[in-house]
Parts: sequence; structure tokens; C-alpha cells
Amino acid sequence: MSQTTTEERNAIQASVRSLMEDRNTEADVRRVMETAEGHDPAVWQQLVELGLTGLVIAPEFGGAGLGPVELELVMEETGAALLASPLLSSSVLAAGLLTAAGDAAVNKRLLSAIAAGKTIATVAMTGDAGTWTADGVAVSARADGDKWLLDGRANYVTHAQLADVLLVLARTPAGIRIFEVAAKAAGVTISPLPTFDRTLRLARIDFAGVAAMPVGTAGWPAAEAALQLVLVALAGEQAGGARRMFEKTVDYAKTRIQFGRAIGSFQAIKHMAADLLIEVESATSAARAAATALDAAGEGSNEPADAAIHLAAFACADAYTTVTATAVQMHGGIAFTWEHSAHLYLRRARAQAQLFGAPAYHRERFLTALGA
Amino acid sequence: MTTEISDDALRAEVRAWLKANYRPEELRGATLWSSTPETRAWLTKVLEAGWATPRWPAEWWGRSLPEHQARIVEREFAAVKAPGAGQDRGNLYANTAMAYGNDALKAHFVRGILTGEINMCLLYSEPGAGSDLAGIRTRAELKGDNYIVNGQKVWTSGAMTADYGMLIARTDWDAPKHGGISFFFLPMKQPGVEVRPLRQVTDESHFNEVFITDAVCPVDNRLGAEGAGWRVLQTALAYERSVMGDGARGPRNASAKVSLIDLARDAGKLNDPVLRQDLARVIAYRRLNDLNNARAKADLKEGTSSPIMSLGKLAMSRILHEEARLRTSMLGAASLLEGKDFPVSDDANFLSLNAYFTSIGGGTDQIQRNIIGERVLGLPKEPEVDRDVPFREVRAG
Ligand SMILES: Cc1cc2nc3c(=O)[nH]c(=O)nc-3n(C[C@H](O)[C@H](O)[C@H](O)COP(=O)(O)OP(=O)(O)OC[C@H]3O[C@@H](n4cnc5c(N)ncnc54)[C@H](O)[C@@H]3O)c2cc1C
Repeated sequence: MSQTTTEERNAIQASVRSLMEDRNTEADVRRVMETAEGHDPAVWQQLVELGLTGLVIAPEFGGAGLGPVELELVMEETGAALLASPLLSSSVLAAGLLTAAGDAAVNKRLLSAIAAGKTIATVAMTGDAGTWTADGVAVSARADGDKWLLDGRANYVTHAQLADVLLVLARTPAGIRIFEVAAKAAGVTISPLPTFDRTLRLARIDFAGVAAMPVGTAGWPAAEAALQLVLVALAGEQAGGARRMFEKTVDYAKTRIQFGRAIGSFQAIKHMAADLLIEVESATSAARAAATALDAAGEGSNEPADAAIHLAAFACADAYTTVTATAVQMHGGIAFTWEHSAHLYLRRARAQAQLFGAPAYHRERFLTALGA
Repeated sequence: MTTEISDDALRAEVRAWLKANYRPEELRGATLWSSTPETRAWLTKVLEAGWATPRWPAEWWGRSLPEHQARIVEREFAAVKAPGAGQDRGNLYANTAMAYGNDALKAHFVRGILTGEINMCLLYSEPGAGSDLAGIRTRAELKGDNYIVNGQKVWTSGAMTADYGMLIARTDWDAPKHGGISFFFLPMKQPGVEVRPLRQVTDESHFNEVFITDAVCPVDNRLGAEGAGWRVLQTALAYERSVMGDGARGPRNASAKVSLIDLARDAGKLNDPVLRQDLARVIAYRRLNDLNNARAKADLKEGTSSPIMSLGKLAMSRILHEEARLRTSMLGAASLLEGKDFPVSDDANFLSLNAYFTSIGGGTDQIQRNIIGERVLGLPKEPEVDRDVPFREVRAG
């Protein structure tokens, strides 16, 4: 179970919020999203100093050793501020995968470097299918003497163009396994992809006879564990983003005058706002409950975290897209301009609804977890 | 109304004329907002043949055809995707000019509007007056033979290329808000009119801010009496909304004009029973709207007007948003991408943003619902706090 007190959690959340307010304003987001790197190395350094790059990494590897509960709270803040960063790819997804794979030698080297923010890692998990399921893996590994060689394609890999290290899920005759590859290794071609959410970086990676090092022996189950962690983090980002856009919209409804009165005085607007509040509060509850469930499962609780995590995955995705889409309508013409922040949130919401499995997939997993 | 030609003869005549004259490849390159010499030549030909305004009399390049025959002309043009026919129904500028312009204005503008010689835009919305158009603060003051216009407009689609703008401006500040407005054709190409493009969420720049400083508008360019502009505006808005109810811009990548069913098939999901339910529901929205429109047109032929006419724009808004949602969900992870190399994804994303053109532009869905409730259903009007107050005393925001 999470060892932090409520005050400690509040302090973590407050420190991230103030970092966002100082260094990740909307103007910063707009500047950073137009750069090739897609993140601000100076802000990355700040994340390192706050301990966020090692938040869920064990203390023996230089991390803070915190868990999903603290992670979720941090992500609410980064999501609210639309932080563009490889944090999720490296310090959550890759760190989660390495932790689950449990290869002591690799972890000593890689997890320490990830915690210190010196290495950016990401996970190449799905092929062109874009499903983030075992079926979707489209890289294969063959043994060549005592070496392994990778062939095939990974797609929609988050922040691959920034990464130093790629963790690749690949098929072997004995099932799916995890491999480590340097991003610059011979035979690796990383093609950056143009993203609708310009705060996101995605790439396609083609592997042609790439020499790779196996990581532990755990295969797809480790990927599932990493996905659980990243889904909790993503749910936090979605809940935080939905809430921020919602607050901006309610503020606007109080100040925008038409027909001699604030538009929020019209029931059409008032009712939309009330409906969205249900979405926002439900997203926050679902994200936090998923974090608590995963935390408990990590400590050997019998309560399976699956239902809570997949519920959060689709409830938060749907809430975020609904809130941001409705927010545009509630603003009117002003939200159809590039200068207004509404579309930045809408783009983020649409993207996050596809990453690591679409809502329909998570609804199925939710039902399965309920025994249906 | 006498029909001097049989439906079959008319259909044959239009078909033969199109076959002899229509060369689609010559018309490429025209945009939504500006014409090319080739499109202007084509539109002129259409006008002179009587197809641009088939309902209007010969003196306005028409053939005095009854409604159902005019529709035959439009359908034949639509069948080969030829533009320019039936503008006596669909061209909001020409129709507004015909309904309210004086003879000089009609003679000066209507032909050029129909042939694309004159490009137009709509100078209605202001930063403080969108849904509440009667709250506009742009002023027009009569000095001799001209009005002098000052103010700011916003969201003006096509203002960069427009020669004239249909302008609403306040001419009387002591009358209540609806009573002090007049309607003009404002010349855009003059020093007092400055157009600044705005970047849209679609990353295009079709709409603009328009700053108007001591711009000059001849008194002959006023439509309707001074202070009667609100009525003119209602006519113009009705045309605009009926056009918006008929459709909207499609995909922006020509290579990706796939139907929803094609898209489902390409995604290998055509056998997915859940998707099939969704597909049926969304395709039905458009079908049902088409059926509604067809029934409304039939009513119109019988000389009665149909309340259905007021539903089209609101229905179209739902159609566009829902189609875009379904496209996105069928694409799945591919919808993360945009750009020319990913045309199908680019379109799904573009269409989901551009749907707001219909749900916000031309009067928001919320305003459309109010109009349907009040004007079609006769439900009591919302109390309007500033309706009968002299405009000087109205609260702004
Ligand atoms: C793509 C695009 C193109 C456009 N092109 C043009 C153009 O060429 N020329 C032009 O003049 N204008 C144009 N417009 C402007 C458009 O007509 C206005 O944006 C629209 O009428 C809404 O006004 P607003 O933006 O000021 O929003 P507001 O009026 O401020 O509305 C904000 C919110 O309040 C709601 N609301 C307002 N009043 C009420 C009410 N009484 N009851 C319930 N809800 C209410 C609205 O529905 C909306 O959700 C365009 C807009 C767009 C998006």
C-alpha cells in the first residue's frame, strides 16, 4: 500500500502544479509543440529535480519508490497543463516494463539512467494494427548463435524519435519476449509521424536484422503490467485535462454576455455544464480508484485491479473527448480559432482516446474482468 | 404558372446541353472563396442558357419554370457535378439582393454574383455580437450620398477575396436593438476596410477579422429602408441556413472520398455487429434528413411551406459530428495521424473539427433549437431583458 500521507501527496501535487504554472504555460506548450524534439529539455531537468522521472522506480535504482497513487496525482497536473514530454513513455511505460520484467542487471543500468533522466526510453509494443495487444505485435526475433536479431515493424511508438533506448516486444518461437535495442543501432529506422495532437510525438520503427539483447524472461505479462501502470497515468492526465478545460468553459459562461446576459444564464449552456460536471467528476473518481486498485494489487491484494483500470481507461477517455468537444460548442466561434486553447485540449483528448487501446477495447476488458 | 415544356423534354434538353458544354477538367483550381477565369466563363454560360435562375423570368436570365422543373435542372447538373444551376434557390447573396435591393442595386450586382465576377462575404458577427446579432455596434452614418461606416467584424469567411460584404450596421442608437439596424452591400476593396486573416482550428485561414474605419458605402447599396435591416437579415439568414442544411465541405483530401461503409470494409470491421449497429444509425441520420428535405420540397411544390425547412441545419450538424466520430472510431490508432501522407486519417480529424462550422457558424445549434421551439412550435419566447430598451442603454460584454 502507498506509504505517503495525504499531506505528502498534496505537497507532491502542489509542487508539480507550481512547476507547470511557472514553466509550462499555454505559451510554452505552443512553443514546444512546434519544435522537432517536442519537449523542453530545461523542463525535463526540472522534472528530474522534482524526482518525477524516477517517481515509480525503486529506491535501489535511484527512484522515489512511489506508486500508482502518487503517479496519478502528478499526471492530473501535467494533463491539466498539457505538458509535452516523454515522461509517460520513459518514466512510466518503459520503467513499468523493466520493473515487471525484473532483470536485475538491466535494471541496475537502465532504470537508474531513466530515474536520473539521463536516458530516455520507450516501448515498441504494437505494429500497424495499433492495438497494444499481444496480437498486435509485429516484430519477430530470431536466435543467431548467442545473439538475437529483430525484424519487422512497430508503429505508433510514443516519443521514439527522442529515445536513446527502445524496449521492443517481439515474437520468438517460445512466445513474446522483451528486447533492448539502442535507438541508433544499425538496422533501426525511426520515421517520425505527423500527429493530430501536436504535443505528442509518435514514430514508426522498422527493424531489419537488428542485434538485440533480451531483457529477463517475462514476456507479454510484463507488457500487461506496464500497460496497467500507463493506463492509470493516462487516466490521470485525461481527468486533469478534462477538469481544466471544463473550468475554463464555466468561467467563460459566466463572463460572456449575449442578449444582455451571461450565456451561462441560458439553460442550454447551464445544462451542458451540469452534464459535463458529471463527466469530470466521474473521470477523476475512476482514475483515482484505478490507481488505488493497482496499488493494492501490487501489494498482493486479491482484489483484481483489472476492472478498475479498464473502467478508468474508457471512462476517462470518453469524458475527456466529451468535455473538450462540448467545450468548443459552448464557447462558439472563438473556440474555432487556433489561438484559443480549446482545440489543444480537444486534440489531446482525441489522441489519448487511442493510445494504449481504444475505449471499445477497454469496455470489453472491463466486462471480462467482471466475469461477463 | 404554365408549363411550356414537358418534364421529359426539359430533362433531355439539360442533358444535351451539359454534354455539349460541360468540361469539368477546365474548372479545377477554383476554391470555395474565389473563382478562376474558367469558372467565371462557365457560370456565364450557365446563366445565359437559363439554368442559373430557371425559376426567374427571362429579364433575370431565367425561364419562369415551376419549382419541380427547376429541380429537374438542378438534378441534371448535380448528376454530373456541374456547378452553377439553381442559384435562384441556393445563392443567398443574389436572392437577398433580388428580395430587397432597388433596381439600381439589382442591375449592378445580381449578374456578377451569379457568374462569380463579384465575390461576396457576410459582415454580421462582431466580437460582442454573435448569437445576439441585434447587439451589433458597427455604425453607419448618412453623409450626403454615402454612409460612413466604422466598427469591427469578426469570423468573416472569405473576406480576403470578397469584393462586397453584406453588412449589418447600426444607423439609429435610440431605437431598441432590432429597430436601429440597416443592411448594406459594403465595397470591400477600399482603404477604410482592413482584413486580417485568423488561423482556424483546422489550420486553415478562411475566416478573418475586418476593421472598418470611415469606409464609404453608397446609399444605393442599402437593402430595404433605413432601420429595416433586421428583416432583410432574417431573409438572408434563412437562405444561409437552408444551404447549410443541405450539406457542408466534404473530406479535404480528394484521394480519401471513401464512404463510411467502404471505410468499415477497409478496416476489416464490416462484420463487427457492434459497428454495424453504429453504422446503420449514422447512415440513417443522413438518409432521414434527405427524406425530410424531399418531403419539405414536395410540400413547397403544393404551395405550403413546411416546418421541416427549419430543421435541416440542426440535423446536418448532428450528421456531421456523428459521421466524424464514427470515422475516427473505425480508424482507431490511425486517427492519431494527420497530413497528406495519411489522407484518410487527415480527413477524419479535419471533418471532426470542421463539423463545428455547421454547429456554430450561421447560428449555433442552441440558437437553432430556440428558433425551432419558438417559431415552429410556438413555445413561449424566453424573456429578453434588452429587447425594448433604447440600444444606448443595452449592456455589452
Ligand atoms: C467556421 C465559422 C465561420 C463563420 N463565418 C461567418 C461569416 O462569414 N460571417 C459572420 O458574420 N459570422 C461568421 N461566423 C460567426 C458565427 O455566426 C458565430 O460564431 C455564431 O453565430 C456564434 O456567435 P459567437 O461565436 O459570438 O458565440 P456566442 O454567441 O458568444 O455563443 C457562445 C455560446 O452561447 C450559446 N448561446 C448564446 N446565446 C444563447 C441563447 N439565447 N440560448 C442558448 N444558448 C445561447 C451559444 O450556442 C454558444 O454555445 C462563423 C463562425 C464559424 C465557426
